[in-house]
Amino acid sequence: MTTKRLSIQRYLPEQSKTPFWQDFDVPFDDSTSILEALNHIKEDMDGSLSYRWSCRMAICGSCGVMVNGEPKLGCKSFLREYPGTIKIEPLAHFPVQKDLIIDMEIFLEHLAAVQPYLINDSEDSTQTHKQTPAQLAKYLKFSDCINCGLCYSACPQFGLNPEFLGPAALTLAHRYNLDSRDQGKAQRMAQLNREEGVWTCTFVGYCSEVCPKSVDPAAAVNQGKVESAKDLLINLFKR
Amino acid sequence: MQHRDADIVIVGGGGAGLRAAIAAAEHAREEGIEQRILMLSKVYPMRSHTVAAEGGAAAVTSEEDTLEAHFEDTVAGSDWLAEQGVVDYFIRHAHRELVQLERWGCPWSRKPDGSIQVRRFGGMKTARTWFAADKTGFHILHTLFQTSLKYPEIERLDEYFVLDVATVEGKVAGVIALQVATGELILLRAKSVILATGGAGRLFQFNTNAGIVTGDGMAMAYRQGAALRDMEFVQYHPTGLPGTGILITEACRGEGGLLLNKDGYRYLQDYGLGPETPLGEPKNKYMELGPRDKLSQAFWQEQKAGRTGKFADNDVVYLDLRHLGKEYLHERLPFICELAQAYINVDPVTEPIPIRPAVHYTMGGIETDAQCETSLKGLYAAGECASVGLHGANRLGSNSLSELLVFGRLAGEQASHRAAATAYADIESLQQQVQDQERQVARLRDADGLESWVGLKREMVQAMEDGCGIYRDEQGMQAALNRIRDLKSRYHNIKLSDRSRIYNTELLQCIELGFGLDIAEATCLAALNRRESRGAHQRLDAGLEQRDDINFLQHSQVFFNADAPAELRWQDVDTRFSAPAVRAYGDAGKGARK
Amino acid sequence: MAKHVGYFPELKRNWWLKNRYFMAYMAREATVLPLVFFIVCLLAGLYSLLLGPGSWQGWLHFMQNPITIAINLLALGASLFHAATFFTLFPRVMPLRVGGRAIPAKWIILGQWFGVLLVMALFAWVFGRGM
Repeated sequence: MTTKRLSIQRYLPEQSKTPFWQDFDVPFDDSTSILEALNHIKEDMDGSLSYRWSCRMAICGSCGVMVNGEPKLGCKSFLREYPGTIKIEPLAHFPVQKDLIIDMEIFLEHLAAVQPYLINDSEDSTQTHKQTPAQLAKYLKFSDCINCGLCYSACPQFGLNPEFLGPAALTLAHRYNLDSRDQGKAQRMAQLNREEGVWTCTFVGYCSEVCPKSVDPAAAVNQGKVESAKDLLINLFKR
Repeated sequence: MQHRDADIVIVGGGGAGLRAAIAAAEHAREEGIEQRILMLSKVYPMRSHTVAAEGGAAAVTSEEDTLEAHFEDTVAGSDWLAEQGVVDYFIRHAHRELVQLERWGCPWSRKPDGSIQVRRFGGMKTARTWFAADKTGFHILHTLFQTSLKYPEIERLDEYFVLDVATVEGKVAGVIALQVATGELILLRAKSVILATGGAGRLFQFNTNAGIVTGDGMAMAYRQGAALRDMEFVQYHPTGLPGTGILITEACRGEGGLLLNKDGYRYLQDYGLGPETPLGEPKNKYMELGPRDKLSQAFWQEQKAGRTGKFADNDVVYLDLRHLGKEYLHERLPFICELAQAYINVDPVTEPIPIRPAVHYTMGGIETDAQCETSLKGLYAAGECASVGLHGANRLGSNSLSELLVFGRLAGEQASHRAAATAYADIESLQQQVQDQERQVARLRDADGLESWVGLKREMVQAMEDGCGIYRDEQGMQAALNRIRDLKSRYHNIKLSDRSRIYNTELLQCIELGFGLDIAEATCLAALNRRESRGAHQRLDAGLEQRDDINFLQHSQVFFNADAPAELRWQDVDTRFSAPAVRAYGDAGKGARK
Repeated sequence: MAKHVGYFPELKRNWWLKNRYFMAYMAREATVLPLVFFIVCLLAGLYSLLLGPGSWQGWLHFMQNPITIAINLLALGASLFHAATFFTLFPRVMPLRVGGRAIPAKWIILGQWFGVLLVMALFAWVFGRGM
């Protein structure tokens, strides 16, 4: 079987304060994913290699890593796609806890900050809302986010300022704002209007490029800017 | 060791755990009491395996459907091994739960008039499966997770690996957990504990499950004296991708997909599921819409007869969706199109998908009563880790998502109710158990034996695949049981290469392996002693190929025995509404169904 | 329990050189530089008009300098490039729907270019007549 070289950035905080690179030659075929290669290393070469993974079918969002400098899901990237040595690093713009494991806390805080749940006064009803396929289609794409964090690694603005709510959180806010069943937009706008809300975004657009689920967060964030502008304008006249 | 208190501790952040957490919070609010709810998960909740469920969630919805029909389908699907009182409760509460999810924002697929759309599923008399395209589990999980953020009384401890349930004199007292980020242990004292840790599909080599589905909660409860019930019933999903086992949803067949052997023949008609239904007119309970156990068994027979095709090293049959057309496929089954393209480079619009059965679901689990309580007072279980008695010998597709909602909620309410009337256990009484865990973790972390945990794990999954597959025989199951027992003793002589504390994922995998071996033993033992064929447990041994209601209309119960062999007992089945009858599908089932 | 403080790689000043996508983004943002020059030229022209004929002649002379022309051509190119990126992004920011159906992005982009042509034709007609 042919092998390919994976060059992995290791970080073992109990041994050293600085990361180092380690190479592994991994057997592969046409179907071998980066995740499978990592599993091979862990099981057969170096048991101390640490990374997150779970579903291996691109839906749980655990296994994001930088592959040759691009944020990727390990389970949905394949060794066959890379001609030379493959460089694997932890997701960019996050603190690293160990090897390929990043600290996700700030990401979760940002998600929670936008009140990502349906806000509706008539909550006790035992009937479903009516929602036509067209109303559903308005937000459905933005509800497909798997919280993998790749878009945060693709976003230089988040890299420069981790307080920026970031693509996934703003997309989630927009998803609920667009939902015909929701009445919570006014509450969410306060977060979106902040400087660390939609206005930090400069539409680099790379977040949408790397999104493994084609959610198009850049579109959501910039639609959010339109909403925010409207909201600010309306508030101006209300005073 | 650090310690914290919470009225209710929930282990697992998947569908059942999240539903339980919200239910507990709501219940406490309604009762006007203040309760703290701690939810522990070894991963972030969004990573839980509920996320991978695709097809949908069942509940009686349309005018022409009836609760009786859902009851009958579920009981017949279970080969009469379901607890009928539990099934009755389930079918009555499923619809309410799906509506509740809608009220929380779940993006269910809709009809043009804006009402809920339902689809066909295997073994169901009529279309009653709610769906959100083919990412139903994903949307349910994220809706629940996001909704849980509304409740400040729910505190999450993400990436905490629970090692043991703390008990005092047969009553639950909390859990002992390892914080993955630091490697430190913590005692979480609680008045009620809910296990919602999922199934154990990872005991098998070829499965549709995520890496985390290692049966941890089952093993914890089992080691503390709760019974594992009906563990011999392991569901093989008929349609997994070759190589990886990635799930290709039953909804493909619900939408009209065909199963073909290598000759392009719809072989299911030869296995009591016919006659062949016309293209584009799927018929409930016929052909491709038969139950999972029957379909997986049909694959095995085709494979034996040499009528399966090849995909790389795998024997496969073909799932043909081409006649549904691109637009329909991309609307109803977008994830399936994405998965087939990414993992086997097949576009379902133009080519049939090669598929083969893969282990999918653990019908058995921690025995609970109809209120989700285990034999340990204050310890509840819900979802796949539990055996509340809904699925019996075979689960129907789309009953499990509804199950985790119905029983997640019930467990949450019960746990809250109990916590209100219970005091914390004396901390001194827990010291011994805590120290035991500390010792065990330290010993494992520094283990320098001769056995590689990887080797043991590989032997375990191979043994289970060999001995407890789609068809089983005495010799194979005995060999598997012997091998598992041998592996259990070798586990004491294990070796780790990572001695660190921070994110020592190797240590966690070793602990999971230890859990897995205990459950594997229970599974083999129950399988070996069920000397009949029922649902997902099919024997090739002469004279045991049929169901035997005289001797085996019984649940198996396996009890843990430390280092001695596990102990098997039998328990009566609740058949209060429907006496066992012939389980038939296709035209053969017509008479039975009326 | 607190986690340990991990290793936090800082974003270096040349972060945008690491990825062709970021370079394209910086190029888009950099289009503002030649455009600033163009606007300064325009304002200077207006100002020299106020100052008198001598000054105006000087400005005209400056504008005929090949370097000035080159930079202004660059500004034209840059503004067209910026317009192209803007037009491509527009349908994602303002998705348009007619009767519940989304208008394909391609049409919206083409519509915008059509608008540009229309404006140019209008200018040609207005100013072309005077010459």
